[in-house]
Amino acid sequence: MFQYIIKRLMQSLLTLLLLSFVCYFVLTLMPGDPVDMMAAGNPNITSEDMQRLKSLYGLDQPAYKRYLNWMGTLLSGDLGFSRTYKIPVSDILGPRILNTFYLSVFALVLSLLVAVPLGVYAAVHKGKLTDYLLNLFAFAGISIPSFWLALILILMFAVKAGLLPAGGTYSVGQDLEGFALVWDRIKYLILPVLSLSFMQIGTFERYTRGAMLEILNSDYIRTARSKGLEEKKVLFKHAFRNALIPLITVVAISFSYIFSGAIITETVFAYQGVGKSVYDSIKSNDFNVAMVSFMISMIMVFMMSLLADIFYAVVDPRIKY
Amino acid sequence: MRLLFITFSLFFTLISAQAAEKPLKIGISQEFETLNPLIKQMMATTYIYGFVNRNLVTMNEKGEYIPMIAESIPDFENGQAKFITENGTKKIKANWKIKEEAKWGDGTPVTAYDVKLAWSTALLDTVSVGEKKTYSQVERIEIDPKNPKHFSFVYEEAMWNYYQLGSFYLLPAHLEKKVVKEHGEKVEGYAKNTLYTKDPTNPGLYNGPYLIDELKLGSHLILKPNPHFYGEKPNIKTIIIKLIQNTGTLEANLRSGSIDMVSVLGMSFDQALSFEKKVNLMNLPFNVNYKPSLVYEHIDLNMENELLQDIKVRRALVHAIDRKKLTLALFEGKQQMAYHNVAPLDPWYTDDPKKIRHYKPSKRKARKLLEKAGWKLKDDGFRYKDGKRLEFTIMTTAGNKTRELIQAFIQNEWKSVGIKLNIKNEPARVFFSQTVLKGEYPHMALFAWISAPESVPRSSLHSSSIPTESNAFSGQNTGKWNNKQVDKIIDELEFEFDSEERKNMVAKLLKIYTDEVPVIPLYYRSDVSITPEGLKNYVLTGHQYPNSNFAEQWTWETK
Repeated sequence: MFQYIIKRLMQSLLTLLLLSFVCYFVLTLMPGDPVDMMAAGNPNITSEDMQRLKSLYGLDQPAYKRYLNWMGTLLSGDLGFSRTYKIPVSDILGPRILNTFYLSVFALVLSLLVAVPLGVYAAVHKGKLTDYLLNLFAFAGISIPSFWLALILILMFAVKAGLLPAGGTYSVGQDLEGFALVWDRIKYLILPVLSLSFMQIGTFERYTRGAMLEILNSDYIRTARSKGLEEKKVLFKHAFRNALIPLITVVAISFSYIFSGAIITETVFAYQGVGKSVYDSIKSNDFNVAMVSFMISMIMVFMMSLLADIFYAVVDPRIKY
Repeated sequence: MRLLFITFSLFFTLISAQAAEKPLKIGISQEFETLNPLIKQMMATTYIYGFVNRNLVTMNEKGEYIPMIAESIPDFENGQAKFITENGTKKIKANWKIKEEAKWGDGTPVTAYDVKLAWSTALLDTVSVGEKKTYSQVERIEIDPKNPKHFSFVYEEAMWNYYQLGSFYLLPAHLEKKVVKEHGEKVEGYAKNTLYTKDPTNPGLYNGPYLIDELKLGSHLILKPNPHFYGEKPNIKTIIIKLIQNTGTLEANLRSGSIDMVSVLGMSFDQALSFEKKVNLMNLPFNVNYKPSLVYEHIDLNMENELLQDIKVRRALVHAIDRKKLTLALFEGKQQMAYHNVAPLDPWYTDDPKKIRHYKPSKRKARKLLEKAGWKLKDDGFRYKDGKRLEFTIMTTAGNKTRELIQAFIQNEWKSVGIKLNIKNEPARVFFSQTVLKGEYPHMALFAWISAPESVPRSSLHSSSIPTESNAFSGQNTGKWNNKQVDKIIDELEFEFDSEERKNMVAKLLKIYTDEVPVIPLYYRSDVSITPEGLKNYVLTGHQYPNSNFAEQWTWETK
């Protein structure tokens, strides 16, 4: 197992290196650079200003040279400097990664807590009214646009009822401590978490139901039932454990997706997360922020996929590395 | 009676104090960056900067330059500005004086050394200043060592607009000089180490009515009054500026009370119009404020295109659009129709029909002009010449609802005189960074310019500003209009010291502009903001110097 993990890590490192170059190169292909964009709305920028700034930022150099410069800085432990905010990238991304982590973990936990029991229940009651109702709920979750749901939640809970804040990460200008501080953070998380979870619940519920149905129709379940095993044991010891394998894959992929893909939720709720930073940095050609964000997302995908592989072995003793 | 008076006075004082204590929470939808004045580039940063810092001069809501941290504006009449000749070159020497009581937020006096540090730092090749000309126009600064509140600028050229220094910022020498000395020689070394980045809440960095109490980039900042501010003490004791990029959420925050107002950097014009309807319908406690601005929405014509080289065709294009109807239909008349590139807020503006050519909407005139140009109407409803259809392509930013509606309106108007208009839009990034920047649109580009009052239009109208490969596509005369008379006027305008003569020269330029029609003027945009009913003395400026420069005058109304 240890050798397998080392091998996977080495492979991931190589892939990461190659992907980083591809991402950097693709970024350079985008039309315009930060200086062009600055000049686009300002007729007072002179041609001398533009040429001077391009040379200062190194934008007049070929893409491979700029990539090597960036990689060199990264390897020296410096994440670089944001052209948009004029501060080090670590200062921007550090707190935001933590915010997104809270949002993603709460959303994932809530999704699993709701979706997995519902999926099992729907599988056991296949073809009955509750199964149809749960299907309807799941498809609604998958198909409702997240920005629309987010706005509806804001309208209901913030504008009409006035129970929760309409947006933000925490109450600004209040020196809160202890429980009040924790409650304040939770208040700002409730609506984004609900919004983000809704779609995930639908997806996880469908996967759990599908996996459970497949297992429940297998021979060894029939054998377990014919042996006279208690239904609870059949369901949770024999069926559910085996149904976990496809679910682990989906959860692992979803988690890495949630981490970089909560852009819409973060934007609508003005939540200070890393997803929004990725989008903003690409839009404004802030290469250093964009590249570090890409690297984090890629590392998350590799790590979660490795974790999934390890969990396969844990839940299914037949799997060995 | 006396007791009654005292009781009333006390009651009134208490109510006023409570109102002043109430924080003002402002919503903005545009990002802001670190507040170093030399390297900032974002509009939102300029807006925030207005609360915390003061420059030598700024512009008021009438478009006039007024002194801020300077005692007065040196001019030839008050004898503080004079012509000098050095090595055969005519220059200007202007004597400036910083207000005696002007101090940084830590109590250190503001002196000419702060001006000199900003100037010398901005001139470093390693510092990414946007418009360097603002600083490089000053050849040297002479400081009176006995009284460092006094200094003189010696300008490298004798240009009339020497006092227009609204973007000439100051740096606190007592804090930043050391940083410049240590890191100024490295590329972006200063930007990475400035205290505005490392210690942004340091009161010594700011000299305006407010200081920064808390700053979270990408989220919010909290402002508190500066006890050392030289001017009127701010009425509002706490200002919170929150960044909410999604304008739907911005409105929800406003209605739920999370923010009190939306600044000019908040909602788009159509969103504000729609919100105003809700305000009226539901009796919401907000005012929607409009102010005609210097943003000029227009259609640039590619003057190198064969079809558009015919002046009769260009004039027919303008006659065929009812621009007044357009502004009424789309903006309920709250954005003014444009005659040319100079906005009404600018002292150079004129709409005098004796000075400029007016194009009344007239389909008949348009048809006549097209007939004269040889474009004959055929059965399919379009005009043809030598077997070629009169057909244009207009480009703009995809997804911009207002611009797409304008395109549809114009398409319909031109169709009625036999002109086919094709619409080809691109994402804003591609459109501005590629198509407009390099002047690559086949016929027409619909977009906007932001200008400044009394701004010499060299970069947008002079033939030397036509973007070409040789100038790295850095000129902004993207329609490639090449008119020798216009070039001459622009060249002379910068050196004309008589303001009336300048007005006449600009009127001549506008006459050529409206005669030749290198651009189809559409309308001047309005700035919009939404304020709570109780906020008073809040006036929009409409230009690049935001109303936050006068934030100390804002006050909550006491009832």
